[in-house]
Amino acid sequence: MKTLKKSGTGAAIDRVEGHLKVMGIAKYASEFPVQNKVYAQGINSTIAKGEIISVDTSEAEKLPGVLKVITFKNAEKLKTFEKEMTPISTTTIAPVLQSNKVHYYGEYIGLVVAETFEQAQYAARLVKFKYKEDPNPVINFDKSRSEAYKPNEKSDYALGDIKAGLSDADEIVEVTYNTPIEHHHPMELHAVIASWENGKVMAYASQQIVEDATIAISDTFQIPKKDVRVIAAFVGGGFGSKLNVERHVILAVMAAKMIGKPVQMTVTRPQMFTNTGLRQHNEQKMRVGAKKDGTLTALSHETLSHTSSTLEYQESCGMVTKMLYKVPNNLVTHRLIPMNIQAPFAMRAPGEATGSFALECAMDEMAWKLKMDPIDFRIKNDTQIDLSTNKPFSSRLLVECLRIGAEKFGWKERKIQPRTHKNGNWLIGYGVSGASRQSPYLKTNAKVILELDGDEVNATIQMDATDIGTGSYTIIAQTASEYLRIPVEQINVELGDSNFPATPGSGGSWGAASFCNGARAACEKAIKTLKANQNIKQDEEVSVADLLKKNKLKRFEAEGSAEPSEAFRNHSVFSFGANFCEVWVDKDTGMYRIKRMVNVGAAGKILNPKTAYSQIIGGLTMGVGMAMAEQTRVEPNFGNFITRSFADYHVPVNLDMANIDVVFLPEEDKIANKMGIKGIGELGITSVAASIANAIFNATGKRMRDLPITPEKLIEAKVEPGITV
Amino acid sequence: MRPFTYTNANNKEQALKGANQNSHYLGGGTNLIDLMKEDVERPDQLININNLDYKKITVNKNGGLTLGAMLSNSETANHLDIRKNYPLLSMAMLSAATAQIRNMATNGGNLLQRTRCPYFFEISMPCNKREPGSGCGAKNGMNALHAIFGYSESCIAVNPSDMCVALAAIGASVEVEKTDGSSRIIEFSDFHRLPGDHPENDTNLMQGELITAIHLSKPIFSDHYYYLKIRERSSYAFALLSVAAGLQLNGGIITEVGLAMGSVAHKPWKLNKAEAYLSGKKPSQANFEEAAELEMIDAKPFKDNKYKVEMGKKAIVRALTQAYERKA
Repeated sequence: MKTLKKSGTGAAIDRVEGHLKVMGIAKYASEFPVQNKVYAQGINSTIAKGEIISVDTSEAEKLPGVLKVITFKNAEKLKTFEKEMTPISTTTIAPVLQSNKVHYYGEYIGLVVAETFEQAQYAARLVKFKYKEDPNPVINFDKSRSEAYKPNEKSDYALGDIKAGLSDADEIVEVTYNTPIEHHHPMELHAVIASWENGKVMAYASQQIVEDATIAISDTFQIPKKDVRVIAAFVGGGFGSKLNVERHVILAVMAAKMIGKPVQMTVTRPQMFTNTGLRQHNEQKMRVGAKKDGTLTALSHETLSHTSSTLEYQESCGMVTKMLYKVPNNLVTHRLIPMNIQAPFAMRAPGEATGSFALECAMDEMAWKLKMDPIDFRIKNDTQIDLSTNKPFSSRLLVECLRIGAEKFGWKERKIQPRTHKNGNWLIGYGVSGASRQSPYLKTNAKVILELDGDEVNATIQMDATDIGTGSYTIIAQTASEYLRIPVEQINVELGDSNFPATPGSGGSWGAASFCNGARAACEKAIKTLKANQNIKQDEEVSVADLLKKNKLKRFEAEGSAEPSEAFRNHSVFSFGANFCEVWVDKDTGMYRIKRMVNVGAAGKILNPKTAYSQIIGGLTMGVGMAMAEQTRVEPNFGNFITRSFADYHVPVNLDMANIDVVFLPEEDKIANKMGIKGIGELGITSVAASIANAIFNATGKRMRDLPITPEKLIEAKVEPGITV
Repeated sequence: MRPFTYTNANNKEQALKGANQNSHYLGGGTNLIDLMKEDVERPDQLININNLDYKKITVNKNGGLTLGAMLSNSETANHLDIRKNYPLLSMAMLSAATAQIRNMATNGGNLLQRTRCPYFFEISMPCNKREPGSGCGAKNGMNALHAIFGYSESCIAVNPSDMCVALAAIGASVEVEKTDGSSRIIEFSDFHRLPGDHPENDTNLMQGELITAIHLSKPIFSDHYYYLKIRERSSYAFALLSVAAGLQLNGGIITEVGLAMGSVAHKPWKLNKAEAYLSGKKPSQANFEEAAELEMIDAKPFKDNKYKVEMGKKAIVRALTQAYERKA
């Protein structure tokens, strides 16, 4: 039997699909060579609220190559929302062009289909809409506070008595943090090629969950789910924006039906702001109460956000405050203002990324008030029980992450007093934050096909999982290699086709655990069956090649399924981590540099240190973006976004990134799942912004509570009372 | 994008002859093509002038260097003579955009960069610069990135160039060919204009005129110089505010000073008061601060860009200090 040290789980192998991407062979949604395809371009509204009173398509229709102009007047009838306010999920229908109403600036109000992309783009400019504009669109967050409502019963949480907890405290921190509207912006634009054949839909679409995409498409068009096939072989990033079906997919499917030809629609970068979801502005009011010795007595986290006027999404910012620390009195609330702004949806660690910024900054503010080391303060309030559910954590190495990180980082060199660590014009600060990220695990199916070739076996794994750039192909191949005991080179992984066994797709950091356990189950099922058929004892070591031979089989298929256990349900399953950073702030200009970062994570079994490292690097980069630069601004008089491209929606550049040290603590957690895999993708972004803001305080004595922290804000900010400049 | 005709000019005669009221010369296209995609610029015709032979750096009669208009920003900024004699210009140019954009962008094109005002970019919003008479959206809208000097009722946009700030500090002139075959020289300080009632005109160029060269004044700031660019990320970001500073010293006294500020006005903003104040004085922190105060007292910010006043003071002092200490 071959040694599999170099290809099973835990091995730092190169991506199995890497060469396909480098050579341009890997096909993303818009790259499939579909015959006779034509091109669609969406038209966006230019008012925030109102009605379309007339449409003039004559000029556009005269242009050569234009095949069809679709507006609410001639659009296919689709299923529409039954309720006035519909909560969004990954399977929600996406009706479009069903009425003359405009709900937000940039909403699709028409579609041009033409022979070429250029013709469609030009013609889209020539369709003329006249509006009856509503003079009072809800576009100002501050002025619309009274419209806020509580989305559902789960929006609020209370433990103990927050008032009692605060009156019991020796010190209280009461502050408000703001995170702005942000956009997902994966590098690969949203795209789809849709066609109809014999009443069935085929869509090559950039989606994170192909199974759910088939549901959303079939529900929207009111056709059986089995008549919709979605393929997403490669996805160039999603960050949450591709979890659900957005309206371009429906538009392309509709146009393909109306024209009788395959239709390609690629969302433009400006439309990535208006038509593929966003993270909403969160105003988070924090109250922290603690005893002089650092014992927490109260924590409250009240979030005010916005949703669209028709679709409801609540980012659970307070989730992290419910479970991260031991506190007897805890209050979490979420309120939403319906606004004439596109509906938000899950983005890059929804809840944790934004919530941890508020919580981990507030913890730092309290530690400063208590004159306590912020690491000691966190360790003092550690808990091994998730107090929000009363379930024990399946594993929790938060304290270890903080301690080991402090050692690696050289935390003891930190100057406690702000503005005392200097180098020329630079003020130097150290910051820390604790991190937690839910580690979901969902039912997953997979198929394995074994084929005997001489003395070797080639295996194919099929599942409708997706690889959104994270490394799914690689870790699934490694899993199959381990459980079939054949080298990874003999394993072929096929993903992203809704005809394959169903999986939960990629999102919420559940992919790795779910996919790998699904693949494991299929491999185990194959071997178990092959052994049972020949009365071979299950614990006897026989190679899969010999098993096929003994069964006189050239080819064998098996399907397996994995799902959470009773033990999983009885525990709270999270990954934990800690971020450390050193920031240099220019004392005059407000510019700053993140010099180095140390990230320590405990996320169960690390399937592949290379892909895991990349995941954390990506998360940290997004965290830096969140802290330094990313924000979408709403124009106060028109309600549109004035940030429209990568020239003004800033994400970090290489120069902004620091020296990064990523450490994974060894952790075995068989409660999480059989393979001991926990979520990792979103752990990297969580609380990064807090560690940067905390470091900026340590450097300058300024509390920067509104993201992003820009030079103009730093120049205007005042140092906290009691700190001398 | 709208359809347009595209022609190649192989010499300046062809270029000038082909020009009409709604044509644009195409250099690197790093700004123009973006604006055409957004429907902001709608030329009927693009005349490609990349084949024209204005790609050299030569010595001019003032004892300075002349930059060919079609030379790329990268080739210019990295040219040994520029780095040696005009390091302030090199520093400013290398702070701009990204390496990829600098490789494409031309010197002539850089002079014609259009504003980054978001109201200019979004065709459904009012903008007098894009559509004269439609109004200024920024004045009562979002104006964090806008002017604090020299604006008018009709426009508060700023010029986004880094190169031009350095040119304003070191002194230059622009040579242009006219459609009738003659040429003229425009002093750099007269090249860009304040918005007044005609913000649609960024410059004083006449229709069809072709920029062929930038003549630099005699190099006097090759020892003491600094370009300070304050921005939201380390690369690929327009300046929130920038300062180009050059000093010439003799016996501990400032004999020549060149100071200009970027992203504060419709044109590169020459800091005349500060220059006059510093001339003949010692390069001290107190003098730098006084110069900064004198200049920034004239700033008239809007709701969102008040930060630029304090930032401007700090930036002037810092740029002068860095320039002085660079080789003291």
